[in-house]
Amino acid sequence: MDAGLLLLLQRIFDALTNSAIYASLALALVIIYRSTGLLNFAQGEMATFSAYVAFVLLAGAAPGLTGGSLASAVGAPYPTVAAIGAAVVLGAIAGGVTERLVFRPLRDASELAMVSITIGLFLGINSLVEQWWGTAPRQFPSLFPDAPSDYLDIAGARLRYSAIGAWVTLLVLLAALAWLMQSTRGGLAFRAVSFNRESAELSGIRSARTLMWGWVLASALGAVAAALSASSVLLEPKMMLRVLVYAFAAATLGGLDSPRGAVLGGVVIGLSQTLVPAYIPFIGFELSVLPALVVMVIVLVVRPAGLFGTQRLERV
Amino acid sequence: MSDDDWPTPMPRRGDVGRSSGDSVFAVSPAPQAPGAGHQMSPVGSLMSEAPRRTRRRTSPLSWMGIGLLAVWLVAMPLTSTATQLVQNTQAMVMVLAVLGVNLATGYGGMISLGHGVFVAVGSFATAYAAADMGLPWAVSILIGAVLAGTLGAVVGLPALRIKGIYLALVTLGLAIVFQPLSKRFTAFTGGVSGRTVEAEMIAPTWFGTSRWSEGLYRYLICVAVVVTALWLVRQLVDSRPGRAMRAVRDDDTAAAVYGVNLTTNRLGTFAASAALAGLAGALHVVLVPFASQESFPPQESLVLYATAVLGGLGSIWGSVLGVAIREAAAATGSGLASIDGLGVISELFDLFDDERLLFGVALILLTFVFPRGLASAIVRRTRRRDA
Repeated sequence: MDAGLLLLLQRIFDALTNSAIYASLALALVIIYRSTGLLNFAQGEMATFSAYVAFVLLAGAAPGLTGGSLASAVGAPYPTVAAIGAAVVLGAIAGGVTERLVFRPLRDASELAMVSITIGLFLGINSLVEQWWGTAPRQFPSLFPDAPSDYLDIAGARLRYSAIGAWVTLLVLLAALAWLMQSTRGGLAFRAVSFNRESAELSGIRSARTLMWGWVLASALGAVAAALSASSVLLEPKMMLRVLVYAFAAATLGGLDSPRGAVLGGVVIGLSQTLVPAYIPFIGFELSVLPALVVMVIVLVVRPAGLFGTQRLERV
Repeated sequence: MSDDDWPTPMPRRGDVGRSSGDSVFAVSPAPQAPGAGHQMSPVGSLMSEAPRRTRRRTSPLSWMGIGLLAVWLVAMPLTSTATQLVQNTQAMVMVLAVLGVNLATGYGGMISLGHGVFVAVGSFATAYAAADMGLPWAVSILIGAVLAGTLGAVVGLPALRIKGIYLALVTLGLAIVFQPLSKRFTAFTGGVSGRTVEAEMIAPTWFGTSRWSEGLYRYLICVAVVVTALWLVRQLVDSRPGRAMRAVRDDDTAAAVYGVNLTTNRLGTFAASAALAGLAGALHVVLVPFASQESFPPQESLVLYATAVLGGLGSIWGSVLGVAIREAAAATGSGLASIDGLGVISELFDLFDDERLLFGVALILLTFVFPRGLASAIVRRTRRRDA
C-alpha cells in the first residue's frame, strides 16, 4: 500500500474515537433541541461533572479528594464499568432534576432568558468542578483494553481496541435509543411532543413529564461522551469546552433536529478534526476547533437546516 | 434611566433583549388599512431628521445613582492604596466591555457570548502599538478600539443571517476558539505565556512620582475615556441610527420596510459594541503592563454576558450597575468565605468565593424573578410610581 494512503487510513482510524464522542454529545444536544427548541450550552459542563463523579467512584476515599468519603460510604472504589455506569445514571437523574427545577417553570420564556439560564448553569457547574476537584488533569482509566499492543492490524494501519469499543458503545446506545423512540409508548409520546406539543397535550400526553425524560436521556448521553473523552485523553475541567464546539458543529451540520444527522455530523467533524490539522500544518492539533466553528457558521448561513434537519420557515 | 423616546406599550414581536417599553414601534408596524390615514407615526419617529423628542425626566432614583457614582469617583482614589487604585480602575474600565455586550445584545438584539475576544484583541493591539511600534498612548488606545471594532464587523457578517440563539452559539464558539488561535500569533500575543508591555504611561512630573500618583493619573485618564464613551453611546442610542437599531431588534422586517438598511445597521452595531470592548482591553494595558490569552478564557466572556444581563439590558446605567454588582458580589463572596467554624455551612460559603458560581446562581435566579434584568425592573417600578 502506498505510504500516503496508509497514513490516511491510520488517521481515519485515529479519528474514530473522537467521532463517537462528538456523535454522542451531538445526539444529546439534538434530543433537547428537537423537543424544546433550546440549545443547551451547559451540556458539556453537565457531562464533565458526571465524569468527575465517575472518577470519585473509581477512586473511593483518597486523601484530599472531594466526595471521596461519600463515595466510599456507598461502596467505592467501584470497578471501571460500574463506576461509569453509576455516574451516567446519576448524571441522568441530575439532568431530569435540572429540567424540573429550572427549565420547566420557564417553558415559554424568551430566547434570551433561556440562553441566560444555560449560561448560568455553565458558569456554576464549571466553578464547582474546578473548586472541588482542581484544574490539574487526572488520569482516567480506559473502559477498553488500551495497552500499546491492543490493536487490530488492517492493511498495516492500527485500529485500536478502544476505538472499536467507543463505536460499539455508541451503536448500542443508538440501538437502545431507536428502540425507545420507535417501540415504546414513552418514545411515541416524546415524538408527539417534539412534533407538536399542543396537539400532543390535547391527545392526553403529559408533555412536561415527557420533556423531562428527554433531559434524562440527553444527560445520560452526555455523561457517556464525557467518560469516553476522559478515558481517551485526560480528565480535566475544561475538557468538554472544545468537545462542545465539535458537538454543536456536528449537530448543526447534520441538522439540529435530526438524530441521524447528529451521528453523521459527529463522524464528519471527527474526521475533519484529525485530517485538517494533518494536512494544513498551521492549524495544528489545538486549533482544530477552528475548522469546526467555520463549518458551523457556513452551515448556519447557507443551509440552517443542515443535511437532514427540517427546514425552518421564516416569515419574510 | 429613561432612554426611550416612546414610553408606550410595545408589541410582543421578537423577544431578544428588550427592557421595558423602549420599543421604537409605538404602534403596530403592520401595514395599515387604506383610510386609516397617513399618520404612520413610526415612519416619522424613525426617519425624520428632527425627531420629536420627549423631555427627559430623571427620576429620584437615577439622581441617587448619579450621586453615589460621583461620590465613588472622588472618594475611591482618595481612600485607596496604589494597588487598590489600579484594581478599582480595572473594574471601572470593565463597564465599557459590559456596555459593549449590552449594545449588541440589549439594543441590537444580537446575543453575544464572545465579547471577551474583543477585549483581548484591544489589549493585544494596544500593547503592540505602544510597546513594539512605540506609538503614543492616545494613538495606541485608539488602534486597540478600532482594530477590535473592525474584527467585530467581520464577526458581525454571519450575524446578518444568523439570529437569536444560533448567534449565541456562534459567539460562544468564537470565545472557545480564541485561546488556541491567539497562541498562533506569538509576535502579537506573546503566545502561551502572554507578553509584557515595555511601555508605560508616564504622568507629568508636576503630578508627583509616587506609585499612587501615577495610578491617580491613569485613573483620571480612564475616567475621562469611560465617561466620554458612555456619553457617546448615550448619544448613539438616541440618534437616528440608534432608533433604527432598536427597530431592527424588535422587528427587522418592519424596520426594513421603513427603510432601515439591515446590513449596515447590524454590522455597525456589532462593530461599535466590539470597539467598546476593545477600548476596555486597551485601557487594561494602560493599567497593567501585561497581556495574555490566559486572562481571556471563554468563561470570562460568559461573565461579561452575565454582568450585562444582571445589570439590565437595553439601559446604559444597567451596565454600570452590572459592574457594581460584580464588585459587590466579589466582596460578599470573599466575606462569606472568611466565615469559619460553621461546619458544612462554612464549606458551602467557601464555594461562593468564586464569581463564576455567584454569577451562575444569580443569573438563574434573576432570570426567574426579573426575566428582563435588574435595571429594567427598577425602571419599571419607578415608572409605575411616576404614572
